[in-house]
Amino acid sequence: MPSPLLADTAGEKLLLLGNEAIVRGALEGGVGFVSCYPGTPSSEVPDTFFRLSREGDYYFEYSTNEKVALEVGAGAALAGVPTLVTMKHVGVNVAADPLLTLSYITAPGGLVLLSADDPGCHSSQNEQDNRHYARLAGLPCFEPATAQECKDMTRDALHLATRTGQPVLLRTTTRVNHVRGPVKMGSLPKEKPYKPFERKLSQFVPIPAHSRVHHRQLLDRLEAIGHEAERSPWNKVSGAGDMGVVASGISRCYLADALHEEGMEGQVKVLDLGFSYPMPDELILEFVKGLKTLLVLEELDPLVENHIRALLQRHGVELTVLGKGDTLPLWGEYSTDLARQALRSAMGRQARTVDHCAPQQGLAMRPPNLCAGCSHRASYFTVREVFGDGAFYSSDIGCYTLGLLPPLSAADFLVCMGSSISTGSGFATASGRPTIGFIGDSTFFHSGVTGLINAVYNNHDILVVILDNRTTAMTGHQPHPGVDHTAIGPNERPVEIEPLVRACGVQHVKTLSPLNHKAAKKALEEMKALSGPRVIIFRDPCVIHERRTSGKPKSQVATVAETTAGCLDVLSSLACPAFLKDGGAVRVDEEMCSGCMFCLQLDKSFKAKKRGA
Amino acid sequence: MQRTRIFFTGVGGQGTLTATKLVSLTALDEGLPVTSGEIHGMAQRGGVVESTVLIGYLSPKITHGEADVLLGFELLETLRALCYVKPGGKLLSNSEALPPLSVATGKADYPSLESVRAKAQAVASQAWFLPCRTLAEKAGSAQSANTVLLGAACAAHALPFGMEALERSVRKYLKPALAEINLKALALGAEAVRG
Repeated sequence: MPSPLLADTAGEKLLLLGNEAIVRGALEGGVGFVSCYPGTPSSEVPDTFFRLSREGDYYFEYSTNEKVALEVGAGAALAGVPTLVTMKHVGVNVAADPLLTLSYITAPGGLVLLSADDPGCHSSQNEQDNRHYARLAGLPCFEPATAQECKDMTRDALHLATRTGQPVLLRTTTRVNHVRGPVKMGSLPKEKPYKPFERKLSQFVPIPAHSRVHHRQLLDRLEAIGHEAERSPWNKVSGAGDMGVVASGISRCYLADALHEEGMEGQVKVLDLGFSYPMPDELILEFVKGLKTLLVLEELDPLVENHIRALLQRHGVELTVLGKGDTLPLWGEYSTDLARQALRSAMGRQARTVDHCAPQQGLAMRPPNLCAGCSHRASYFTVREVFGDGAFYSSDIGCYTLGLLPPLSAADFLVCMGSSISTGSGFATASGRPTIGFIGDSTFFHSGVTGLINAVYNNHDILVVILDNRTTAMTGHQPHPGVDHTAIGPNERPVEIEPLVRACGVQHVKTLSPLNHKAAKKALEEMKALSGPRVIIFRDPCVIHERRTSGKPKSQVATVAETTAGCLDVLSSLACPAFLKDGGAVRVDEEMCSGCMFCLQLDKSFKAKKRGA
Repeated sequence: MQRTRIFFTGVGGQGTLTATKLVSLTALDEGLPVTSGEIHGMAQRGGVVESTVLIGYLSPKITHGEADVLLGFELLETLRALCYVKPGGKLLSNSEALPPLSVATGKADYPSLESVRAKAQAVASQAWFLPCRTLAEKAGSAQSANTVLLGAACAAHALPFGMEALERSVRKYLKPALAEINLKALALGAEAVRG
């Protein structure tokens, strides 16, 4: 049976994750090419395309990074195929270079860029507002708020992109990507729109003489698209009264629920901005007629608010505009409660009082933790054993960032994806202190390799430890160029990391398993005695991924024969989550233990036994 | 239709999200306007998992003091999420513990069942604590502790549909091999509430 996402069952209602609904919307919009770099909260979009790729009529790839994903997608859209490119918000920073010129030369086949923002930093290093990219690059922008809108707006965004050639930004936020709700299916196109490439130097080759023209053409296109935004069903007016609220993104949901809870449904005029850039100026000017107060609800930056303030000033409209301020912050997520407070304050009502028990302080935390048997734990343990606090640790983006917590304490600083080698190089050069850069295998291919080339060229004194667990574990075990299999078949030509490192000009390179403690320690000590750029590749598969693909756990587990001082030492220095302190005694939880047998090499109190025995 | 907000909390690997999905699917099949939310982030195995099911609302989010029902799949997490409960709401929780690393390594304390019960009863109109894992093992698999709690919630009239609808969903949406165990788990959970 084909997946319901691929079935042509118009009218049927499915319960979908926002990210799954985006997939269906793209299919309804005729998508033929999908590229991405995974990143939460966007990951389930490409993962769903990947899962369906054997049955679906589209090309799919995990690209090495977001810039590459957008460039590959741009090529496909230039060749005339409707294209979706997906990434998380910080990924767009990586892709910004091609993005800002692609919007000049256009993508005639149609290209939609999904940028999944993360207000509240649920899984990200910052909470930037990527609606700025719509303004910066000149991209029409859609902001869905429900699962149904995720589907419908993706379809409409793709149609707009195909019709105008202008790349379109589909901007979601974590809550929207991970909402689950009913979605009524639309029909799938019988034939995909396809526009064969026609050579036109003046259009597609942005030399300065052409680009000057391109910029003005872009502004003309945006103006024309702005007229569509004026009439778009995604920009809706409802309610009545002399107070108005303009809301975008998920704030539209918070507003609707807040109006209900405050008993104010229908008594306030509401402008729902779903197609939020270019802004529908005429609609807004019409909307504000007769209003005394206008409240703007939008998470993160006051883009809509400032635009409206300028618009009202330009047209001489006198109106009290309320927005970012005491109740509505420039950071974090909004909520129904926040929307209620803002409404009450705008209406001159008293603030709501807190009506719940205080969050309990001082409870034991459950910080995200490296899994039991994770090879990164062994790598960090041995690196710290050899280098201790005398060295500085440059970290990177991935599961292994979780090595930051004590007792491993393997992260002193981190800038962005792929930065560990280059930032570590700069730190080592400036401080003259021993510096170790940690980077994962997928991250190395993403953008670490350029930092390594730089370290060789400039002879930076850095030890790079590549933590190669044979997958992109953090975002859900996506494959990358270095692994020998994808889920749909073998990868005939995996890119081997060690020869690549050597080809970059690194002379001291060693690959070994971090689970062999003695050999790992020896290799680290040898590297410690050397200087210049040098690399250790700690290679051992992600324990969760290996178990999932092989289907069975390892046959042995660790057990504690007798709780000795050495055993307690290992408990506190390795802190494997499978260890359990029960009164004075240490135990190993057999369910949790992966059978990596690293602890056996650290102290004789740990013994091997057969699983289940 | 009664508007309802249900907050789910548990530890990664306990089936909190599966339970959330099962409740949402049942609500959809019952023709209720359902919205659900989940935050996947850096919650690796063993991290906190929080999710929501809302009936009759547009927003998928629940803030402090808004939940009509709290379903806690782990005792410490129930206590942590207590501030989400609306005064007078209902609470159902696993009474059994999964100690976090700091507790397992002897660096932090775990609250007693009695202290959590007392705090819960001060907020909620009704609070039930059940040994979900033990009951699940009795049903045939420790993995079905999540359905034990759902059965209990249904029997406590904390879910917007009856036991028959939930049983239909277990048959319809879980793998056939697991359906029987989970039906038994639902029944054991319900029985524990009805006493």
